[in-house]
Amino acid sequence: MISATKFTQPASKAARHFAGIRLLSSSPIVAAEKNANSSRPKADRTQSMAFTKKEAGSKRTRSGTSTSVNLSAANPAYYTDPPKPKLDLLSKDTATASRLNTFMQIDDGFLQNTGKGRYPGHLAADFKLFGKPALLYRQVTQTLVDQMAQNAETAPKRATVLDGQNGAGKSAELLKLATVAATSGHIVIYALSTLPWVNSSRPYGPGYKSDLFVQHELVNELLRSVVAVSRDALNKVPLGRSVTLGKKTLESEKTLADLIDLGLQTPSLAHDALDQLLDIARTQTVVPVFIGLDEVNTLWCQTSYRDQEDNILPANRFRLARSFLPFFEGQGLAKGWVVGATSYAEVRFMPKDLKTKLNPPPAIPIANPDLVRDPGVGELSFDVLKVERLSSAEAWGLMQFYQKANIVTTPVTEGLVAKKWVYANGNPRQMFAGVTTYF
Amino acid sequence: MDVILFRYGQPARFLLQFATIIPLYSSYSLLITSMLHLLGVNLPDQKVVSVALTYFYGIGPLTARKICSRLSFHKECKLSELTEGQLNQLSGVLSEMTIENDLKRQVAANVQHLRQIGTYVGKRHAMGLPVHGQRTRGNSVTAKKLNGKMLRKYSTVADTAFTRQAMGMFQSPLSKHQN
Repeated sequence: MISATKFTQPASKAARHFAGIRLLSSSPIVAAEKNANSSRPKADRTQSMAFTKKEAGSKRTRSGTSTSVNLSAANPAYYTDPPKPKLDLLSKDTATASRLNTFMQIDDGFLQNTGKGRYPGHLAADFKLFGKPALLYRQVTQTLVDQMAQNAETAPKRATVLDGQNGAGKSAELLKLATVAATSGHIVIYALSTLPWVNSSRPYGPGYKSDLFVQHELVNELLRSVVAVSRDALNKVPLGRSVTLGKKTLESEKTLADLIDLGLQTPSLAHDALDQLLDIARTQTVVPVFIGLDEVNTLWCQTSYRDQEDNILPANRFRLARSFLPFFEGQGLAKGWVVGATSYAEVRFMPKDLKTKLNPPPAIPIANPDLVRDPGVGELSFDVLKVERLSSAEAWGLMQFYQKANIVTTPVTEGLVAKKWVYANGNPRQMFAGVTTYF
Repeated sequence: MDVILFRYGQPARFLLQFATIIPLYSSYSLLITSMLHLLGVNLPDQKVVSVALTYFYGIGPLTARKICSRLSFHKECKLSELTEGQLNQLSGVLSEMTIENDLKRQVAANVQHLRQIGTYVGKRHAMGLPVHGQRTRGNSVTAKKLNGKMLRKYSTVADTAFTRQAMGMFQSPLSKHQN
């Protein structure tokens, strides 16, 4: 309580404050701050320490290829090295039930050989954040791996197509299956995306004395990936008969690897080499074969290519698609498995009738003869395996890994996992989006 | 670097022996942008073929697409990716078409013909007014600017007051009132 008798200015600062007198100068405080900061290095305000000017060039080369942050000069308080959780490499030996609901690393060499830096579906963003290609080992993965081990002895009569909602994990499952097949000694013919086959982004041309169109560049790339991934398995399989490609003839003692090498030497012979490879591989019983096609719905679609009369070409007018169509229309392998995965990302390459067959309308209790005769609702020539939503245990494993990879910084509790899982309806892509929304 | 001069007006039926790559300096950077000189038109090398073909007078997006379909060029094919044989084929197809100055001369001749036979359309071209029934009370700025331009540029008849009167094709809006 201030004395009302005589006003005298208190001596100390605190006393003055208590007395209700406001300080008119903050210079002591500023001086104190300066003394405290004198030990810190002064910031050079003439040039940026962390952010560097982007390189000159076209927008396409500038964007998306390099970051504008110079990490060598970045402030360590803000830019930390991403954690690199140790993961087991997915292979035939590690693909067991004991690894359920855990993340496993995909062999980068396999991805480089099959994709040349590209990844199937939307996995590129995931792998970039993880720091390495890694996927969750789910129950459906175990089911597929077990099925593949069975089919390595006795092949099924029909191919299998993975179907499900956008982001359910179809491409991821196919990639895991192809990786396990490669380590199991299969001949792996894996196309991580068949969109370039139909979206008019790659060269094409009319075939010689044929109404089919050829895509030598694409077939060449496919053969390169096959021989890079499965050379050992290809060397075990003899041709069994003399094969003539162009002007050269291979004796029956030669192997499939020699056949592919001959096809790679001359791009115009690539299609012939692929046809011979598929013909011999499907009938031989020495080594099991795995054929995996992502976005397999493109085999039945109307492409973006046009013929010389400017008419749109269906996919079955292309020799490359024609080579694989029989496998999904009843022609089986002697040993091995043919698996495809659908994709609804590019709607224009998903035929309507196929979409209706994959997702038939609900059964009508009253028998309707018109509906029965409807060609849109009919039987498929391959088996369909639906990739369902994540289970609660799988969602827990997913979030645990996200925390290890520093994608989720808050403690992972049951409540958080349940919340993310329910909000995403068990969809892995939506769960990933839910935790990276502010990235 | 060899330069091939294509004579305008004559259909280039010979095959393109080699294209002329002209280095250009962009005004905004020091990068060299290469252009393909084809049948008298500079085509940017980095453009998609179906887009680059629209740089020709007389070729629009549909015609360009049909040309690409005929020659089996995919949609994302760029000019720089074409081989010499493909360029020859492209040149051959383009030389069969009426484009550039051939087309301009043809259009001008059509308009001249309409004028000479004394049609309403010919008269409208001569007066530099809209041809297709548009209003002239307002607007018609484009027609006044463009119509008849080709006649003035390509007319083989001497464009004098005497010839105009002799032809009897030109009547100014005020002339009938004067008479």
